Amino acid sequence: MKAVGARLPRYDAHEHVSAGTRYVDDVRIPGTLWAKALRSPHDHAEIVSIDTSAAEAMEGVHAVVTYKDVHKNVHGHIEGLGVPGDEPLFAETHVRYKGQPVAAVAADNEALAIRATEAIQVTYKELPSLLDVRKAFDGDAPQVHHWGNWYPHFEGEMDRRQIRKGDIDQAFEQADVIVQGVYRPAAIEHIPMETQVCQVVPEAGGRFVVYSATQAMYFSMGVVAAHLNWPLNKLKFVGGTTGGGFGGKVDSATETITTLLAIKSHRPVRWRWTRMEEFLCSSTRAPWHMEIADAVTKDGWILGRKMLTLHDAGAFARFSPYGVTKHAFHHTGAYTIPNLEFNGYVVYTNRVPTTAMRGFGVTSVSFATETHIERIAQTIGMDPVELRMKNATRLGDTSPNGIPYVDPSTVPVIQAISDAAGVELSAHSRTMTSAMRSGEDLPEHLVAQMGNPEDH
Amino acid sequence: MSLNITVNGASRTVNAEPLTPLLHVLREELDVLSPKAGCQNGGCGTCTVLVDGEPRRSCLLPIAAVEGAEIRTVEGLAPPGQLSPLQEAWIHHYAAQCGFCTGGFLMAATAYLENGGSDDHTEIAKALGGHVCRCTGYVKILDAVSAAARGDSFDLTTTAAGLHTTLKGVDQ
Amino acid sequence: MSQGPEVLIPTSAAEAVELFGTGADTAVVGGGTILIPMLRLSDARPARALMLHHAGLAGISETGGRLTIGAMTPLNHLAAMADPIAACVAHIADLEIRGQATLGGNLCARNTDAPRGDLQGAMIALGASVRSVGAGGERTEPAEEFLANRDDRLVLDVSFELPAAGAYAYLDRAHTHEYTALAVSAVRTSDGAIRLGANGAGPHGLRLPSAEAAASDHAAAGSAALADVALFDDAIASAWYREKTLPVLVRRALDQLKEAA
Repeated sequence: MKAVGARLPRYDAHEHVSAGTRYVDDVRIPGTLWAKALRSPHDHAEIVSIDTSAAEAMEGVHAVVTYKDVHKNVHGHIEGLGVPGDEPLFAETHVRYKGQPVAAVAADNEALAIRATEAIQVTYKELPSLLDVRKAFDGDAPQVHHWGNWYPHFEGEMDRRQIRKGDIDQAFEQADVIVQGVYRPAAIEHIPMETQVCQVVPEAGGRFVVYSATQAMYFSMGVVAAHLNWPLNKLKFVGGTTGGGFGGKVDSATETITTLLAIKSHRPVRWRWTRMEEFLCSSTRAPWHMEIADAVTKDGWILGRKMLTLHDAGAFARFSPYGVTKHAFHHTGAYTIPNLEFNGYVVYTNRVPTTAMRGFGVTSVSFATETHIERIAQTIGMDPVELRMKNATRLGDTSPNGIPYVDPSTVPVIQAISDAAGVELSAHSRTMTSAMRSGEDLPEHLVAQMGNPEDH
Repeated sequence: MSLNITVNGASRTVNAEPLTPLLHVLREELDVLSPKAGCQNGGCGTCTVLVDGEPRRSCLLPIAAVEGAEIRTVEGLAPPGQLSPLQEAWIHHYAAQCGFCTGGFLMAATAYLENGGSDDHTEIAKALGGHVCRCTGYVKILDAVSAAARGDSFDLTTTAAGLHTTLKGVDQ
Repeated sequence: MSQGPEVLIPTSAAEAVELFGTGADTAVVGGGTILIPMLRLSDARPARALMLHHAGLAGISETGGRLTIGAMTPLNHLAAMADPIAACVAHIADLEIRGQATLGGNLCARNTDAPRGDLQGAMIALGASVRSVGAGGERTEPAEEFLANRDDRLVLDVSFELPAAGAYAYLDRAHTHEYTALAVSAVRTSDGAIRLGANGAGPHGLRLPSAEAAASDHAAAGSAALADVALFDDAIASAWYREKTLPVLVRRALDQLKEAA
């Protein structure tokens, strides 16, 4: 344990300050072509026709690719986990968000690549777009997706992630007050200083070397192999140096398209997104719509929670079912609420697909829960810190999805925060521990919900 | 057009369209890779280099406008194998995380220090105000520039060179 | 093949004027802070680009209390001037951009995704004259008139009388934003008149004549200013927000001006 408490340097600091670090965009291979994508100018439209002939005829343009060049155009990011795919690599019949790739080119230089994308003729028939998750369930809402406006493939082919725990009706009957709130954190772009970037180099033996800024290298390797229907040993991935990701480089945004261009042109290809592309069409943290109703006693016990979550997935599912699952399992935050009725939907809109960002699915519900705790405290006139301590997770409690907490830390963390912030705790809270509930910390409604003390 | 610029003390001849940004010339023609294409709109500072001693966004400067100029980048901050005091402060204060913004910050801070900048955080923030870092939260960057302005010295053997010894101990 | 415009690099002001001609389909590259990314990554494709770096249009001169500033003068050269110029310049983008961007470029900058051209309001408040060339020859006119009719003009210089007092009130911005959403410049001229200019309140810098007429009552002037502007939504502020804040900024600028005088 020599590292704990020691002032260890960053292993890469020397390289960072002396121009020694090689990011993907710094890889230099002679003869490398520039890639550019032609992207949808519409939020939602039908593709009537795509004509790439003028771009292909341009001198200095070495490859133009569309859906026709992809063996398996539709591949889901987490098909391996049983989540069926819904997103085409290149739009084929429809575009479902502004910025969705329709075609890509590789040319001698960047300016020529831009002009080649402009030479591709695409005819669209615009369709009404859905941009607000709250309207997704309306009868006359535009239909975003062939699956409808929300993801229907949770376990057991359920159309939502749901949690039912305890007796929610009894909790609401016993409550002195129902405290309601709606929480709507907005989308957030990760804005890594390095935009999405990839370089692919064909090797003489038929293998392709993929330099990627991805945060999830072996995952991306699987995605490329699946789209191409290639064995993994035809791909060599080089990663590990990323100019900031924060979750925004988990989706495989660049690798397959760049590889396709390298295959078709037989040349090394580099695809570096512009900052405009990064803002327009790299995935963001999702906007969430969360409605909470809590059954609360006047002395501060949260007996039950009903919650509806609409997760704005954007146009395709990607990791959203996973994000909503994490969200569901954490939807009581750092507190124990024994009776639950949770429904979480992955809702499609004609927005850019959303993805992980620093606590995928959990930060949104933490924001909602902590804000809601303050609202409860105001409603019943109780100190918000004492309210948190009262309902804090303890040994013997179980999570929303029924997992016994092994090392619940709410109590010591709040005590430490209170000390640091100079907040005075009551004597009871000051001496509280995470130990199994007893005495005044074990009211009637929690007794039945507790794990068997003899199990611990 | 063909023109000359000096990059880190070496005279270089460049053939480029006159409006080509200096950033593109440095990276793609001259393989000087420390300036980064972060936004190419002048909004982030990852491409900042010194032009005749002044910090400038190389993504916004047409090459024809810097004909004959003396360009300095991170590659020229110290002789090979050595570090400037500012670079040492950067390591000591953990001012780089992903490192992508670091080169631009270093050049802007170098100009600030060469112009006699003080260790005052407000003054440093004014000088570096156009630079964006998404990892550090800036405090460590301010600490590093401040330390360099004061002339603090660092024993990097307890950090950089000592790393291997320390980690060996950990491994065992 | 060359994908860019034909680039012209005059080495004197006279040559720049001659090459500019009527300015048809010609991009004028001053500092380049707006144009270079635009030419590189957008669909703006002018036939010709006139680079002014060697045209000698930079410099500041003073004759009898009247300043003349060349179009290619970088903004950081204005940093030590009287308010509202100094306060405005200090708030434009950042140190590095101010070293490259020029006064002429600032007067020609157009609102695209943000209110560009921070000094436009200040120049209006100062009663500055803009000298430009283009179709029909040379023109010298008040800044507000130039701004309203500036297509295909090449700015040569700007001149104004030093003010008795000046003030600048603005909406502050996150350091990652290059432009202020809204700003008001106020000037008391040497003969005691009060002039007001706003940025971010219309398609370019605008004079606020109704507010000037009501200037003796600062709050009333603030409300009156709303009659002079054409507020809009953009990426950094809504028209609603601008409507709520413009009167406040007018009042603050006038308060500051009173203190300065």
